[in-house]
Amino acid sequence: MILLGKVGIGIVGTALAGAGIICSEGMISVNVETRQPERHHVFVVAPAMLVPIAVQFIPKEHLAEHAQEIQPWLPTIRASLDALSESDDITFLEVKEPGQNVRVAKSGGSIVVDVNENDETVHVSTPIRAMSSAIEELAAASPAPTR
Amino acid sequence: MRRERSAVAVSCLLLVATIAVAIGIARGATTAAKPATERYLHVKVDGGTKGESVNVNVPLSMAVKILPTINHGDLHNGRVTISSADINDVDLHAILDAVRTAPDNEFVTVKGSEQDVRVAKSNGNLIIHVRDSGKESGKSGQKVDVTVPMKVVDALFSTAKQNELDVAAAIRALGEAGETVLVTAQDAEQSVKIWIDSKSGAE
Repeated sequence: MILLGKVGIGIVGTALAGAGIICSEGMISVNVETRQPERHHVFVVAPAMLVPIAVQFIPKEHLAEHAQEIQPWLPTIRASLDALSESDDITFLEVKEPGQNVRVAKSGGSIVVDVNENDETVHVSTPIRAMSSAIEELAAASPAPTR
Repeated sequence: MRRERSAVAVSCLLLVATIAVAIGIARGATTAAKPATERYLHVKVDGGTKGESVNVNVPLSMAVKILPTINHGDLHNGRVTISSADINDVDLHAILDAVRTAPDNEFVTVKGSEQDVRVAKSNGNLIIHVRDSGKESGKSGQKVDVTVPMKVVDALFSTAKQNELDVAAAIRALGEAGETVLVTAQDAEQSVKIWIDSKSGAE
């Protein structure tokens, strides 16, 4: 009985540790709600750690092509992500007009994009650390040295 | 058995405490690395045909970090190269030097039937006022006020090259210049305001 308990604790502990590691880079959330002409609701929450892992599954030739395209901008992207991660929570852009509202902000280590229209609501939140990891994966796929 | 459990419990508590302290130190280090007072560049556009409003807020420290990494077109290492055709053989550095050493004064005053333009130096700021009544063109009147601290203008022209503007240095100087309204522009439909302060959000 004691042995069974220990095994149980081991399984639960491993599961909790695994969940902790997977969620360590935060969660990506996408929430799209369409009201017209038909009502649709898409809500996805995924661990951000899966992004760099998912990049590994992209065919190498496609990845190399995109990596080469992005290469001239890598120092700018890296500097931007570093500056973003160091910055306080802030709304970078807010556009308001009748029936439409767009907001791009940094909130709790994530970049949040909110679009509210009469017929549609879109909310995307991506952790900055996940963006950095994905960019580094992309940079590593480039044939030429990037640093 | 009890002793072992106690030891495990104490070890877990110590581990949690160590992690908490490490996170605290890391956060403290991040905060300490930031400038004493962060300044923000704000752009606010109100009005338009649909009554839209646009707010842009950018931390100046972020702009200073990102700008030197952009190498595209005329922008390299935080500096903009002006083509000689645009300068038209005008010695910008000499003009700036003349303005810098001159006492507070009005340098240019143009009064037309439709437009008034005034360029002056006052309290360490370069000031430009433009008033357009719009009487002749039949359009609504326009009002533009630009105030640029001389320190920012100096930083902008601080490069050795004649045809370069050091935008990154100008932004750094803006951060040191304190809270100031740089540009206000207004016509019947729209108003634009660009300013620097220490608040992360717009007014």
